[in-house]
Amino acid sequence: MIFSRELWIEIGHTVIANPLRTALTGLSVGLGIFILVVMQGLGFGLQNGVQQDFGDEASNSLWIRTNRTTLPFRGRQANRSIELRNADKEILTEKLFETPLHSARRMLWGSTIQAENEEGRFAVVGVNEDYDQLESIPLVSGRWLHQEDVAQSAKVCVIGQTIVDDLFKKKNPIGEYIRLRNVTFRVIGTFSRSGSRWTNSMALIPITTLQRVFEGADQVGRVIVSTGDRTVEEASAMASMADGALRTRHAVHPDDQRAVRVEDNNEEFAMYQRIFMGIRLFIWVIGGFTLFAGAIGVANIMSIVVKERTVEIGVRKALGATSSSIVILIVVEAIALTSISGILGMIAGVLTLEFVAPFAEHDYFSNPAVNLNVTITALGVLVLSGALSGLAPALRAVRIRPIEALRYE
Amino acid sequence: MLSLRSIEKSYPLAGGQLPVLKGIDLIIEQGEMVAIMGSSGSGKSTLLNVLGLLDNFDAGSYHLDDVDMSELSERQAARYRSRFLGFVFQSFNLIAFKSALENVALPLFYQKIPRRERQKRALAMLERMGIADRAHHLPSELSGGQKQRVAMARALITTPRVILADEPTGALDSVTSNEVMDVLREVNSTGITVIIVTHEADIAARCDRTIRLKDGRIIEDGNSSEVVEPTAHGISPIS
Repeated sequence: MIFSRELWIEIGHTVIANPLRTALTGLSVGLGIFILVVMQGLGFGLQNGVQQDFGDEASNSLWIRTNRTTLPFRGRQANRSIELRNADKEILTEKLFETPLHSARRMLWGSTIQAENEEGRFAVVGVNEDYDQLESIPLVSGRWLHQEDVAQSAKVCVIGQTIVDDLFKKKNPIGEYIRLRNVTFRVIGTFSRSGSRWTNSMALIPITTLQRVFEGADQVGRVIVSTGDRTVEEASAMASMADGALRTRHAVHPDDQRAVRVEDNNEEFAMYQRIFMGIRLFIWVIGGFTLFAGAIGVANIMSIVVKERTVEIGVRKALGATSSSIVILIVVEAIALTSISGILGMIAGVLTLEFVAPFAEHDYFSNPAVNLNVTITALGVLVLSGALSGLAPALRAVRIRPIEALRYE
Repeated sequence: MLSLRSIEKSYPLAGGQLPVLKGIDLIIEQGEMVAIMGSSGSGKSTLLNVLGLLDNFDAGSYHLDDVDMSELSERQAARYRSRFLGFVFQSFNLIAFKSALENVALPLFYQKIPRRERQKRALAMLERMGIADRAHHLPSELSGGQKQRVAMARALITTPRVILADEPTGALDSVTSNEVMDVLREVNSTGITVIIVTHEADIAARCDRTIRLKDGRIIEDGNSSEVVEPTAHGISPIS
């Protein structure tokens, strides 16, 4: 019966004839879904933004760097420069602990890079062959640095998309020669990280080549090591070991926070996870209350609507309507109203997010997507509550005798 | 034929029961035009509602063409109301948001008649009532007489066996009342039983038979010319 055209025409009459009631019910449901969608979108946007920012680095890695000392220790003055060298990296990665991936990273800022008639200033970065995995760098063409490139201090480079665009225009750079700080290198690969002009302005070369050709020394700048499949606690212990070993080797005071720093991405990641869980919980709680308020609103309106229509129900029964036909009429009307309003609220929410998203792009806010499953479930909850809130008073109304309904004031 | 035997009906009160119908025995043959008269609280409207299956009764039996109405399920009662009975109310009871045409067509919706056919028949019925030009007007845009004509059209559209009219002229002036009675007489002339609850002697006088109720009992039942007392104007109002 609910697929009967006649029933829908009858419902259409009722709905159009009572614009205020229709608008109030629609607003109650539509607004509930709209708020839920927008809040979800904003929550996801925040989460995406932070995750994207975090996603530049593997979540299971330690970043080890050094700086000048701030405290005197064992007869040494403060403000002493601590440099990470190849030996430090070897001790960390070969003697102290086992790690599946590791890389040094040393940057030479403002390096002139030339290709035929074009030139620009970019960063030349010396790394090991595992660096692409530790930094999650997407290769676009060619190949990544190999172990042999590092072992043989090959003059090869993998360049970012900004360098490709600036120096090669539309030409394929793979196999071409470019000059980094006046030294000729062969381009073996290109990479591009979405939305990161900074990363895309790097020319990555073997760390050994950088040390030998440009510096004549063995500084490594930073050491990045993967913690593999260690737990957060195990990774934290690994970070402590690295910190302790470097402080001992370089005679750094245990309380000197600047001289040796080991950043544990595992802990940071776990912290973000906790924050996101909090945000998600917050969204669910607010969303739940919004839905509840919407459901109460619909229930209230439907209850009033059925009361208002009691005489009409009496008339319909006198004219031959069965109780079930009246209940179906009211319940289907409630379902139709809540569904249409909910879908409109959902569309409005999605459009709002689509419209707002480009203006709200930020390091910590990106792509405020909507979880369709959650939204449809929420809509289902509201439609169900609409149906139930129509059903209860409808059943009450049809239970009374036609004559009582006709005399209802 | 409508047949009531020993019908009793009470309404619950805070302190007990208020008897409204006390052992009503009544037979109304097909094609009769009957007025039910009585003072306020005499039970005349309750009797009409029992006859129309709008209200139930506590004891006794009610047969419509040998079918026991007390045995009907809710669905069967709805079907009887739809197929055999037509109602005309004092306050018209038109659905406010439906046009005159849609109001008249509504009973056919419950008989599952297709929409086009419903509207065709409803328009024909409104033409018969002389108000086809008001077909697309809402009840609020109609006069009292026009509303009652729409209500009668709605009652007649299913060609019922019995028309039950509760004070059909109660809210109308005398001219319009006469017009309504003309229509009901015409309807009755086609073989449809017409039962009118009224407290107006003039109206009862235009029926063939008048039943007078008092305190839930039938105290008079006979030809209207005998039961309804003549007055200076012809017929006296009932006290």
